[in-house]
Parts: sequence; structure tokens; C-alpha cells
Amino acid sequence: MQISNRLSGSVLAALGAAAAWGGSRLPPVPGQDVGPAAFPMVIGFGLVACGVLIALGIGRSFEVEETPEPLTWRVLVPPGLLVFYVLAANELGFLLTAAAMVLAAGLALGARPRLALAMAVIAPPLVHLAFYKLLRVPLPAGLLPAPWA
Amino acid sequence: MNDLAEAVRIVLATDVLIAILASAVYGLVVGSLPGLSATMATALLVPVTFWLSPIAAIATIITASAMAIFSGDIPGALLRIPGTPASAAYTDEAYAMTRKGQAELALGAGLWFSAIGGIVGTLSLMLMAPLLAEMALSFSSYEYFWLALLGLMCATLVARSSPIKAIASMLLGLLIACIGMENPAGTPRFTFGVTDLLGGIEPIPALVGVFAVSEVMRAMASAEPPKLPPRRFGSILANQWLLTKRYQWQMWRGNIVGIIIGVLPGAGADMAAWVSYAMSKKFSRTPELFGTGHPEGLVEAGASNNASLASGWVPSLLFGIPGDTITAIAIGVLYMKGLNPGPTLFTERASSMYALYIIFILANIIMIPLGIVMIRLASVVLRAPRSAVMPVILLLCAVGAFAIGNNPFSVLMVGVFGVLGFVMERQGFPVAALVLGIVMGNMVEQNFVTSLIKSDGDVWPFFERPVSSVLAAFTIGALLWPLGVWIWNRLKSTTGEIVR
Repeated sequence: MQISNRLSGSVLAALGAAAAWGGSRLPPVPGQDVGPAAFPMVIGFGLVACGVLIALGIGRSFEVEETPEPLTWRVLVPPGLLVFYVLAANELGFLLTAAAMVLAAGLALGARPRLALAMAVIAPPLVHLAFYKLLRVPLPAGLLPAPWA
Repeated sequence: MNDLAEAVRIVLATDVLIAILASAVYGLVVGSLPGLSATMATALLVPVTFWLSPIAAIATIITASAMAIFSGDIPGALLRIPGTPASAAYTDEAYAMTRKGQAELALGAGLWFSAIGGIVGTLSLMLMAPLLAEMALSFSSYEYFWLALLGLMCATLVARSSPIKAIASMLLGLLIACIGMENPAGTPRFTFGVTDLLGGIEPIPALVGVFAVSEVMRAMASAEPPKLPPRRFGSILANQWLLTKRYQWQMWRGNIVGIIIGVLPGAGADMAAWVSYAMSKKFSRTPELFGTGHPEGLVEAGASNNASLASGWVPSLLFGIPGDTITAIAIGVLYMKGLNPGPTLFTERASSMYALYIIFILANIIMIPLGIVMIRLASVVLRAPRSAVMPVILLLCAVGAFAIGNNPFSVLMVGVFGVLGFVMERQGFPVAALVLGIVMGNMVEQNFVTSLIKSDGDVWPFFERPVSSVLAAFTIGALLWPLGVWIWNRLKSTTGEIVR
């Protein structure tokens, strides 16, 4: 825990320094002392201070130590699937992209293949119906347009 | 009186009533599923509110959040897994009662005192809001600056976490809010040449990412919760009147503490439940019974978290400063629907405000019958395999984010914030402070810069006006509070050692 505190504190301090520096280089408003630079600089300095304190381990007495679950590669599945959605939705269309997402996420969560497949077949059309028909969200049709679209 | 009649007419419209009923069922189901919080339930509702009338939209948020906060008690009592963070404070107690064969009493107390807390909280909202509205009319940018900052500081006073990490989270949120052109000079700031960043980071994709996607990620790493064995419940409300009489004082104290914490900008239901449970134990005549399945703390904390939910709307409606993460979402919806928060809301749109109060009371009344049905169906709902629920949640995150601006970039942002929320939570950084920072960043900056320009760069006028000096004192107090606690504990332990 202490190693990661040192790491997260340093990252925050570096980010704060970068924010303050980046903020200070913003063009000022002509004829005005206070411009777009002021706020990022205040925040940047605050982050540097917090980062240093965290790295030094100050404030740890307030924390309740909880041992988190061990990491697995599977935690990257949800964000990965969102990226997949952005890249594929226009080409494949909503129904196919969504089916692939539900199937992959279900399998990664340890669902039996039959359940994951069933969810992948049932859920996307229902979501499409609700968002496309009721809420009029222009979901892409792609290769497999929904019959009601 | 005309306004009141008008309000009743607004609420009794078919679309509003359907919205209340549907969002009640939705809130109950989502809140009862472990890992799906009330904030998440509300965030995923936002795309739906686009197509509703203003009052129906607000009704869905009020109803769904109230139901989800109660419903979070169900898996807490039956499985020892809090359904929402607001139930976490008394989950062990409720589970201990279930093991003693008092599941009905524990769940019934959750339901009954949630409903009472919600109604008392609403009454406080009705009483306080118009009074404060008068005062708020005279507020200048100095007061708004301190009020917004106070909200952010209160959001950092989170139980069980390092205050420094909480402040860092909040600052990170403010920094994220700096992205885009929404700044005093209108220059692109921290956009790194990305066109999609010019408009800034929308709070809703950030919320959905932090509260929903990171939860799906967490599910990937943790074991599936145990299945609930089918069980038959006896009467849910049987002994609640007895409890109400025996713990009347605790109930009122819970209500009042909940109301106070709710009114504080930034502090919400989770905080109210933790504080009230701790307070109940401290003042109890039988503190040794706490943790062994004793309803006293349950009564007080259950009354408290729902009371805070209603009073959390006071700063939101009056100043546009969220009382917690749920009202942070609600404020976005209010703006979208042309009900811009501010003191004039109470003078010019009085009927809408009355309608809002009626919806609050209605939601807390129908909570009782619907809650009983939900408790009885809990073993069915909780049997839904997580590997079937979570993929659908992920899909809804993607579609919901896309629906807000029909922009795929929002979906990407949801993923980015999912990862950020997941990493931060693992490192012990409270994510609610981050979210409130993002939501309130523009407001803090605008009032900060306006005030500085007015004062010619001088800091003194920030403290000059009476109300702003009081607010400044509170804010600085909130900042120094953890330091005081630390010194106090230090002194206590050293004197303890000397005595020994």
C-alpha cells in the first residue's frame, strides 16, 4: 500500500506541476489581470501539495485498510468493449456490435456459454427498441438493420 | 393556493404518474442488485429524461433515487452485501438480525424508517427552501464562490478515507473541468488539439464511467456473490409501530442529522448513514448490543439517509450546488428542462416547486407497498446471475452516453472514466469528490475569477461581506477539520499512554 501511495502521490504532484505550468502559458485577457490562467494554476499548486503529502503517507490514519481483489486481465474487458463499440458501431451496426459486447462481457464474467449467447441475442434488440423507437436515438444500422428501423 | 392546485394538476397528469411508477420499480430493482448504486441508477436514467416533460423528468429522478436508497438495504440484510453505499454503515447490523431470525424486522425497519425519513426530509425542504431563497437573492459572486467551495470541501469529508486523498480527488475533478473553451477568455484550454475536447468534459459520461463502468470492471475481478436461498417472509410491518414508539427519539435525531447533512452542499446519504449510525451507538444506553443484531442503529441511520436525500435538494434548487452525487445529476436535468436552479425558481415557478414536493411525498408513500412487494420478490430478483446483468449494464452505459449528444466520443469518455474510477477506488481515492469537482468546476472558476476581477486581485473582499465571511469560516473549518481530529486522537493516545 505504501509503495502505491508513493506512486499515486508522485503522479498527482507531477500532474499538478504540469497543470500549473500549462496554465501559466495560456494567453491572458487583454487589459485584465485575472484570466484563464489563474484557476488551473491554483489547482495545479494544490495538487502538487496533496501529491507530496500523499507520497509522504500523511493522512493514512484516516483510511480503513481494505485488501482489494487481486487484479486480473479481465478488468480491462469493459473499457476495451467500449472502445470496440466506438470503432465498430458504424460499420457493423448497433445490433451486431451490442451482441458482441454482451457476449464477450458475459463470458468474461464466467457465464455459461448458453446464457451468454441467450443474453447476446435478447438484450440488444430490446435496448435498440427502447432507445431507437421510444427515445429516438439515431443508433447506427450498419450490416444488420433492425426490422423496425 | 392557486399554485398548489396547479401543482396537484401537474402531478396527476398521466405521464407523470407513469414516470413515477416505472421509475419506482426501476429504482427498487437496481438498488437491490449489489454493486449497482443509487447514483448509477440515476445516471443511467438521464437519457430517458430527455424525452419526458420537465416535471416527469424530475419525478423519475426523485422516485428512482429514493427507492434505490431503501432497496440497497435488502441485499445488505439478506446477504451482508450493501446494495448501495448508503446502506453500508448498517449492513452488518441488519445481517446479524437476519441471522437471529429477524429478517422481517430488519427489512421492515429499513422500509418504514426510510419512508418516514423521506417525508420528514421533504417537509424540511418545503420549510427551508423559501426562507433561504429570500436570503439567496442578495448573494454575490463572493458568496457563490464560498458556497461552491464549501460544497466541495464537504464532499471531501468522506468516512473511512484519507482527507488528503479526497481533496486530491476533488482537485483532479476541478482540473478536468478546466478542459475546453468554457473559461474566462474562451481560449481552448488543455484540449491538446482534440476537437471533441473543445466543448469540455460532460459530467454525465464521467458519472456513468466512474459509477457504472468501474463497477462492471470490479465485478470482473471479484467472485460472484452467494445466491439467496428462497425464503418466505412473515409480516414486514408487524412490529414497526412498536419500534417507532420505542426508538422515537433516535428516529427524530436520525431525521434531523440526515437533514443537516443533506443541506450541506456536497455531503450526501452515505455520509448521513455513517454519522447517524455512529451517533446512535455513542448515545445509546446499550452500546454493547450494537453489531449483534440490535435495531436501534438501524432505525436512526435508515431514517437519516433518506432524510438527507430530500434535503439535499435545498442547495441544488436554490444555488445550483449539488447536495450529493444524485442531485449533481438532477441539476443537469433541471438546466436541460429550463428549470434553472436559483432563488427565483421559488418565486416564478412556485407551482413547479409545489409539484416537486408532492412527488417527493408521493414517492415515499408508495415506497411502502412497493417495497413490501420488492422484499418478497427479493429472492427472485437477487437470483439474476451477475454475468447476465453486468453485460447489459455495460451496454446501457454505451448507449446512454451516446444518446446524450449522439457523439461516439462520449462513449470513449465513459470508458476512460471507468478506468480512472476503478484505479482511484483501488488506491483509496473517493470518487464522489472527483465527480463533484467535475460538475462544479465551471461554477467555482466563474465566481472565483469574477470576484477577483471585481476586487482588483485583492483577497480581502472575499471575507468582507457578512454572509461570505461566515461561509468562508465554514469552508476553512471543513479544510482544517481532519487536522483537528488527528491532533485530538494524537493527544488522547499520548495521555492514555502516560496514564498507563
